[in-house]
Amino acid sequence: MNNLHVWWDPPADGPSNMAADELLAEEAAARGTCCLRFYGWTPTTVSLGGFQRGADAAAEPAIRGVPIVRRPSGGGAIVHGSDLTYAAAVPKGHPCGAGPEAFYDAVHGALCKALAEFGIAAALWRPPIAAHATGDRDAGSFFCFSRRSPGDVCMGVAESADGRGHKILGSAQRRLAATVLQHGSLLLRHNERVSGAASHPGLADLAPDGLPADAVPALAGRWLEFVAAGLGLRLARQAGRFRDERVVAERSGRFSDPRWNHRR
Amino acid sequence: MTAATRFAKSHEWARPESDGSVTVGISAYAVEALTDLVFMQLPEVGRRVKAGDSLGEIESVKAVSDVYAPISGEVVAVNAALPGALETLGRDPYGAGWMVRLKPDDPAELAALLDESAYDALVKSQPH
Repeated sequence: MNNLHVWWDPPADGPSNMAADELLAEEAAARGTCCLRFYGWTPTTVSLGGFQRGADAAAEPAIRGVPIVRRPSGGGAIVHGSDLTYAAAVPKGHPCGAGPEAFYDAVHGALCKALAEFGIAAALWRPPIAAHATGDRDAGSFFCFSRRSPGDVCMGVAESADGRGHKILGSAQRRLAATVLQHGSLLLRHNERVSGAASHPGLADLAPDGLPADAVPALAGRWLEFVAAGLGLRLARQAGRFRDERVVAERSGRFSDPRWNHRR
Repeated sequence: MTAATRFAKSHEWARPESDGSVTVGISAYAVEALTDLVFMQLPEVGRRVKAGDSLGEIESVKAVSDVYAPISGEVVAVNAALPGALETLGRDPYGAGWMVRLKPDDPAELAALLDESAYDALVKSQPH
């Protein structure tokens, strides 16, 4: 288990992305090594956490009319389309496969290091002392970027009156039999397709000097290098897309099936 | 926990009962590793499972995990109170935190699971 195999896929719809991530977890199990896929979404899509209620999504006016797909991983709902999403799969035998925090912190801490090179200050969120007793006030929020969990990457925490800052990266896991599949979303900018509770500022909105779109690949590249170093792996960028569209399409039916997307 | 309790490598425990059924739950190690449980989905009574099939799912603050059947059989009872009282899993994982009872297809499957000392050794070998 020496390599971190990485693919950068073009934007796709929700069922295709979830199918590809399921295949990625299988790839990690088959290879016995870590695999990571960066991707985008088109059209704008809301992904629900594995146990979120479909009725709650239907009742949320801010996302009315936006396609929905359910992730196998946990956490809150994410509006995709102005973010950079990753899926990373690691065999359970890797130190990051043992418990949730190590894998989160490896990927999230790596982003903080990469952002620092771009002059952007961000840190792993830790609850203020008062919140240890009361819990995060928005822990049950429908949207991921309204919640705060220890280890989320946030900006502007010190400047915020409530110590919550702005969350720019959140991740969630599905712990499978042989592998751990971790999803994460780096919010690049606010999504113009949604408003109200669904709208959150992203990296380009919060960075003092903004973030040009053409800087994202370089940022992601440095992020990957720090992830690989943190996991003790050699970065192995793969040419082309992770899986042929036809192969993904064969798997995607499960993730467009209402029995999956409205199972709760 | 009784001496007859056995463990799967995927961290479920299985305990034979006097009526021939087998009670199943997840180990204290698994509960601690998952941390901050928020939701649980258990199977319906009557469902048939093979060893290794998913018996249910548990969500902690940021992770969803499957609970696997340690042996094959039919679900004959579920701890319906557990999803509403997940703190029970941390307090009493081998007692009130039981999840399901199975009517086993093959008692030999239970004997093939790990005993407590072998399971302890497995846990100690886990990466931290």
